[in-house]
Amino acid sequence: MPILEARNVTREYPMKAETVRALAGVSVAIERGEFVAILGTSGSGKSTLLNLFGGLDRPTGGEILFDGESLAPLSSREMSRYRLRRVGMIFQSFNLIPTMTARENVSLALAFAGLSKTERRKRSLELLDRVGLSQRAEHLPSELSGGEQQRVSIARAIANAPQALLADEPTGNLDSNRAAEVIGLLDEMRRRDGKTVVLVTHDQELAQNFATRIIRLKDGKVV
Amino acid sequence: MNFTDIIALAARNLRQAKLRTSLTVIGVVVGVAAIITMVSFGIGLRRNIIGQALGRLDVFTAMTVFGADTNDMLALRGGRTALDDGEEEDAQDGAKPEDPPSTNSSPAPAPAAARPRRVLDDEALAEIAKLDGVSFAAPIVTFPSFVRFNERTRQQWAAGARAGDDPRLRNLLAGRGFSDENADEVVIKEEFLNGYSDEAFRRRRNRRGNSGGPFRQASDKSDEERKRAAEDALGKEITLYSAPVGDASPTSVFGIPLLDFPSNFPGRSDDGANEVRDEVADRSGFDRYVFRIVGVVKSEDGMGLRVYGRSDFYLPLEKAKRLREANVSPMERMGDALAGHSGYWAAELRVLDPSRIKPVTKRVTDLGFRAFSLANQLEEIERIFLIVNSSLALIGGIALLVASFGISNTMIMSIRERTREIGVMKAIGGSDGEIMRIFFVEASLIGLAGGVMGVIGGWGIDRVANTLANRWVLRQAGQAVRHIEFFSIPWYLSGGAILFAMAISLIAAIYPAMRAARVDPIKALRYE
Ligand SMILES: Nc1ncnc2c1ncn2[C@@H]1O[C@H](COP(=O)(O)OP(=O)(O)OP(=O)(O)O)[C@@H](O)[C@H]1O
Ligand SMILES: [Mg+2]
Repeated sequence: MPILEARNVTREYPMKAETVRALAGVSVAIERGEFVAILGTSGSGKSTLLNLFGGLDRPTGGEILFDGESLAPLSSREMSRYRLRRVGMIFQSFNLIPTMTARENVSLALAFAGLSKTERRKRSLELLDRVGLSQRAEHLPSELSGGEQQRVSIARAIANAPQALLADEPTGNLDSNRAAEVIGLLDEMRRRDGKTVVLVTHDQELAQNFATRIIRLKDGKVV
Repeated sequence: MNFTDIIALAARNLRQAKLRTSLTVIGVVVGVAAIITMVSFGIGLRRNIIGQALGRLDVFTAMTVFGADTNDMLALRGGRTALDDGEEEDAQDGAKPEDPPSTNSSPAPAPAAARPRRVLDDEALAEIAKLDGVSFAAPIVTFPSFVRFNERTRQQWAAGARAGDDPRLRNLLAGRGFSDENADEVVIKEEFLNGYSDEAFRRRRNRRGNSGGPFRQASDKSDEERKRAAEDALGKEITLYSAPVGDASPTSVFGIPLLDFPSNFPGRSDDGANEVRDEVADRSGFDRYVFRIVGVVKSEDGMGLRVYGRSDFYLPLEKAKRLREANVSPMERMGDALAGHSGYWAAELRVLDPSRIKPVTKRVTDLGFRAFSLANQLEEIERIFLIVNSSLALIGGIALLVASFGISNTMIMSIRERTREIGVMKAIGGSDGEIMRIFFVEASLIGLAGGVMGVIGGWGIDRVANTLANRWVLRQAGQAVRHIEFFSIPWYLSGGAILFAMAISLIAAIYPAMRAARVDPIKALRYE
């Protein structure tokens, strides 16, 4: 059974003049342990699809399934639980909270899961150690390089042990060496912990080097 | 996310924008301080006025019963006098003058409600004393007299009191009550001693009055000094000048008619210059009655509720009755004769416990008398204070309402700034409810901080205002008045004001918090 599945998913944005179709009937199934790269031109609907998988958005047609279960009937509160436990999101602009240290950023995700303060401290340090940042735990994001910031956000994404990691152009702000490091880290998570990785990228080479499968989108459709 | 985490997060957010948070908090501080200052003044006023009455141990069990007076009797008789009784039925009514000027000797202002229909005589009093719940009943017997003490003479109201259980003689500073209702004994109030002091006479001569306006106090002396003065007075004698008991009373003394002015009637000329020497008394055919001081009643101090015509000393009841008989004014005597009236003007009552006030009031009224109790009046006064205090709180509340707009504004601004942060929290698993809670807690922290500082600020304003007011009172009263507390901040006021500030803050946060919860994470996180 695929861990993530999109069944004939459409996502439309009704605008004043016309309706924008970001996704026009997408069906994909991603199996457990896969490293899927989603490629496509700008505006082809990659981020839209990833946000649907991530439970940040709901489709206007079709359905999204996680582990064979549809997300459609989930309440807003259940959706937030889904985002907390099932998937980990990684963004191009890192989206760390600038006033919190690396450790506090990771701790925040653990706090939403209800861990106690001492548990949080221990676990967040372990997680930062996993991404090779134990020396930078008390640094603010502004005191970290782009690659380091992205590694903090990976630590945050895996904080509550989700099965799927969803990364939206995580290397867009990084040079090619840092980019390879970050994607290598995701690949390691897949190999060591059996996580499923969905990577949205423009970088053909990276995709070819790491992905087990490449999905191409064009005008909101799989090609 | 548990509650302590939410508080920590909210506190952190507030610290992040110190200036903005402080300005918002100041708005709340002003509102709460306004409430505290206003209401504490209202509560202080209430305490100073009512508290004094409450200070009297028996305020909730004391009653005064009024019988029909001369006017009432003439009115009840349709203007026919007792002397008309023997005449023919067809005697013309209209010939009689209606409503002669009051010759009523009651020193208290006449009660305003339904007039009593029945004369309060010994028989009626016995009936009242037997009512269920009545623990004490004694007639109020007062009469004007000239009293010599400490080599000086003043005109004073004399009053009678029971031997034994009279509640008016209960709060004794020294000595005891009467041994017998015919004894040559007197129980004085503390004021009596003060009234014959050099200082009192000097003040009266200088026409400074004998009071500091509404501000009154028993004494500026210490408790031990008061007790010693009272003990020194025991055994001393006072002399009461009276018309010979049993005789017709004189109409005037040295041309001063024996009218029934209250002893502290404003502008009354009872200065020390009116001294009457014994030889004169002897020559004028007056009797001198000597009473030995056996007890001194402690006086109450405070502000307001000064009862006019209070007596400063008590004689045994039977003695007082006979002396009064001899010393009432001819007008009064004439009135009594015309009205066929031979009762007391009022009686002092005590009930067993406060719950009896209402039923006894009803029974006494049904019997045809008028009952007055401070307890009933207090209810009325309390209601007025409730209205006054609510209005004061409302004015302070408006200031807090204005502050609430500041809170809303601050929160909305902070949500604008933190949209991305809110988006992040949602993306990593924060629920709408948790986001909302963070903002509600932020608002209540603003309310709490503003509330606590507002209480402290209000207290500070009270202290300053109280000092200034006491200085002013001191100047107005022109005498040593004990420090008066004009303000009162009970715990429920400070607690209530803080809770109110928090509640207002929460209300102010409803809209911003909902906005925060509705932030669309995709929009908030879109690459900038
Ligand atoms: N909120 C929105 N309202 C209207 N149109 C939208 C909205 N979000 C996305 N779109 C449109 O949907 C289409 C797909 O957008 P999406 O962000 O998924 O593209 P993408 O493949 O991620 O592009 P890029 O590579 O530039 O990130 C675009 O044409 C975009 O203009
Ligand atoms: Mg995109």
